[in-house]
Amino acid sequence: MTFFGTLATALAVGLIPVAAVAQSMSPMRGEVNSFTDVFAVRVFPANPYDQKIKIEVHVYDQDFQPVEAKISPSVFQLPSQASRPVLVVVPFDGAPDRKVRICTESIPFPNQQTQIKAQICGKFFGHRKS
Amino acid sequence: MNLFRTAFGAAMLVACMNQAALATTQNVIFNGTITATCTLVVATNGTMTVSPDLQSLSSHNSGGSAGTVTLTTTGGVSLSVDPVTTTTVPAADTTAITWTPTYSTSGTHTIAETGSATSLTAPGADLVSVHLAGTKGGSNRFASGNYQATVTVRCE
Repeated sequence: MTFFGTLATALAVGLIPVAAVAQSMSPMRGEVNSFTDVFAVRVFPANPYDQKIKIEVHVYDQDFQPVEAKISPSVFQLPSQASRPVLVVVPFDGAPDRKVRICTESIPFPNQQTQIKAQICGKFFGHRKS
Repeated sequence: MNLFRTAFGAAMLVACMNQAALATTQNVIFNGTITATCTLVVATNGTMTVSPDLQSLSSHNSGGSAGTVTLTTTGGVSLSVDPVTTTTVPAADTTAITWTPTYSTSGTHTIAETGSATSLTAPGADLVSVHLAGTKGGSNRFASGNYQATVTVRCE
């Protein structure tokens, strides 16, 4: 799928929520109808810290197994108190419906003995329409 | 003439007082929708110390400390910790370690220390204390050197 095709899909499904600062990811729930073999979700990870942090976005299935999704961008630095959109395109893989988790992950204080990775996961349900 | 003016003025004044006000009111309606949200802010990482018998490396041991995370939510989410998968151990340590992450919360939700997922139904803020314990069985012991482990705290 081309970039423009992906973008068109994202716009077609109409799941373009308003960004909100001071939360780790929004939205955390979503249901998407798609007329193509993929569905798209736009999420907004946010950095509530007073420092720049590295954020990774991953997609998992119901059993927390990785899903081959297109994430743009999947790894990025986010300034303090900032939020940015991330486009996630998930293939149906032949199924009529697909439930996935889209997770925003960060380790705000790396290189210490016991690190804590904060993970905020949203649950999204894609329906394939014919 | 003065009497006429007075009477005319009084009549006009009474007539004006009887005019109905033409002002109208309209309601302005505000709508707002908040979907389920959750914010995790890591305040401090934890520290593990070794037990006198060298079979436990834990934030529960003397001198150890829990990691702390502040959680703010609208409710309708769940909190959990993942099994530890990312660790670094000294080269001298070649025996198996069982890692057990746990957490407890205080604040809006009071959760006793657990390793299982917990539903947070009410909106509010909590302080999450995250513990990690590594244990060795049998005659195995922790070696000298640097240990590092990552605990994943999940809100979904």
